[in-house]
Amino acid sequence: MDLDWTPGHAAFRERVRSVIYDNLPSDWEDKSNGFDVGSDFVVAFARTFAPKLAKEGLLVPHWPKAFGGQDVDAWHHWILNEELWAAGEPRSYQYMSVNWAGPAIMQFGNEEQKKEHLGRISSGTLFYCQGFSEPNAGSDLASLKTRAEKTADGYIINGSKIWTSAASFADYCFLLARTGSEKRVISVFLIPMNTPGIKVNVIRGLQGAKGLHEVFLDNVRVPHSALLGEEHKGWNVMTHVMHNERIGAPRYALTLRGLDRAVQILSRKGRFKNNEVRSRAARVRAACEAARLMCCEVIDGRVKNKAPSALTNLARYAIVQSDRLACDFLGEFLHDELMANEDKVISAAYRRTNSSGIAAGSAEIQLNLVARNELQLPRD
Amino acid sequence: MNFDLTQDQRLFKDSVTRLLDKYRALPAGHASYWLDGSAVRKDLEEGGFLSISTQQGYGPFEALLLVEAVAMLPQVVEVAASALVAPAVGAGDCRGPVALASTPVAGRPVRFLPGAATLIVDSGADVRAYDLAGINVPAVDTPFAAPFGIAPEFAAGAGRKLGASRKAFLQWRQVALAGEIVGAMQAALDLTVQYVKNRQQFGHPLGSFQAIQHRLSECAVLVHGARLSTYRAVLSGSASDAALACSYAQDAAARISYDTPQFHGAIGQTLEYPVHYWSYRLRALQGELDGVSTQGARAADELWPA
Repeated sequence: MDLDWTPGHAAFRERVRSVIYDNLPSDWEDKSNGFDVGSDFVVAFARTFAPKLAKEGLLVPHWPKAFGGQDVDAWHHWILNEELWAAGEPRSYQYMSVNWAGPAIMQFGNEEQKKEHLGRISSGTLFYCQGFSEPNAGSDLASLKTRAEKTADGYIINGSKIWTSAASFADYCFLLARTGSEKRVISVFLIPMNTPGIKVNVIRGLQGAKGLHEVFLDNVRVPHSALLGEEHKGWNVMTHVMHNERIGAPRYALTLRGLDRAVQILSRKGRFKNNEVRSRAARVRAACEAARLMCCEVIDGRVKNKAPSALTNLARYAIVQSDRLACDFLGEFLHDELMANEDKVISAAYRRTNSSGIAAGSAEIQLNLVARNELQLPRD
Repeated sequence: MNFDLTQDQRLFKDSVTRLLDKYRALPAGHASYWLDGSAVRKDLEEGGFLSISTQQGYGPFEALLLVEAVAMLPQVVEVAASALVAPAVGAGDCRGPVALASTPVAGRPVRFLPGAATLIVDSGADVRAYDLAGINVPAVDTPFAAPFGIAPEFAAGAGRKLGASRKAFLQWRQVALAGEIVGAMQAALDLTVQYVKNRQQFGHPLGSFQAIQHRLSECAVLVHGARLSTYRAVLSGSASDAALACSYAQDAAARISYDTPQFHGAIGQTLEYPVHYWSYRLRALQGELDGVSTQGARAADELWPA
């Protein structure tokens, strides 16, 4: 067992930091409105920043060379994720392209889809949105109602999606639709968002400008080639996606940055002498470090090609718990500063930590999966 | 990073497991507040396990694996101080069992003091080892499932001054304590998970109810987080990692020591059912080294010095 970074990984992290530092404007915290990844500013910024990262070999270094990567191990992906998330995610929602859309297409796509999508993801030019949740299918995702009817020329899709991040500016929707009557008879489609029949509304949300949308699909016609993987077997694709998404964003990275900033502020104002404040800050840090180790254990499994396990759910829940502690800490001890919105980093950390239990699937679903797959508790 | 044990570490862990297997079954008529682990310790000592951290090719990490494995037994066994702390502070040659304490020590209850051959103390100025030969240590009844004895008073300058700093002593105590907590938490959780799979109420196993599933799943997250944090602390040798691991583990200990008896219902409140061997031991460990809040403040001192 060795829980240190190798010199190669440490050097890679330094390089990532230096590229981020060289490319982010000095007023990034303000301009991005506290790291609002769906804001017009960050989305526009990402359209030049992600291609720059790609040119530096820092967008998908862990992908195979055939798909624009450099065949390096998955630790590089994780280091990139940590550093970019801590920096406020200047790729905007393109992190989703790298984290789960690309890998799913690599695993389940045909040659044409790989060529079309992976090349553009690896050059930093493609945004996806995730057409999963529906008004009546949230945690119970398999009960979704959006339907794809097969015709001679393709599929006709009708239904609606909700809580969809990035939908108003994404290039493609990674859409789950029912292709049969039984519960898990679902298929995945890759649909250009400019296809006629798609209507998108922004839902004003607490997490930023374009974090939430509703998407209506009214007789949306797509060719057979829009199908990703086998027809009716979309649940397998979805499971693959969720495994990557659940710890896709190392949320603790921004939380730790927010905590450090909070300690700086409290120290400057003479409020970090109180032992209760100090102890609580350290306990947030301890929980973040534990969550980080659990995520790293999942990455270690990926590097070794181990089958996905409940460790992912344990890690996700650990992230949620550490974010909750952080949110409580910031809310209690930085009340005035949050009210005055005088520091974008702590405000961003506060906002984000408040929603961790919902993003990427509710925390309670993670607990269900831990109970079933880790503790082997009976279902009924 | 590599989260897998090396082959040597796996073999070591397997050999510890094999040795401990014969002690897992509860002795007939065991019902008591705590179970004495002297026989286990003797076996470990004779097998050379207690000196693992100073053996060629091994170190404190293997000692921690030993501490964790032994803490899963229902018996209370003094291993952490002998195998992990004493060698790390230059007292690997002292006679065991070993008890650990901080000044002011005289008159205070100290865990493992009854039967201890050596007491290592942070005197406030340095770290000292006291040979307890010929000293009578009165045992004391506490609400905790662990042996406590009242520390004697030592003359100023008595004992042997050890080479380690007070800070190093604290750091290794934190790691050892976290390791003991991890093992005890895992054992308590395992027993509880098994119980709720079998115990039927309302026509279903208790473990099929989501209220119970979620709480036990949260416990599983805490136990695993504590384990990895403790592994990190022993491998990095960093004072802040040790304080963080101990603070996380003591926080988790409070939760696990409540939830594990809770899901047993009233049987969990009896001496004949064994969950208290771990849950009430966890209560003792939860408050050791002045408890989780102090551990947090110590971690803050390391992370964010004034």
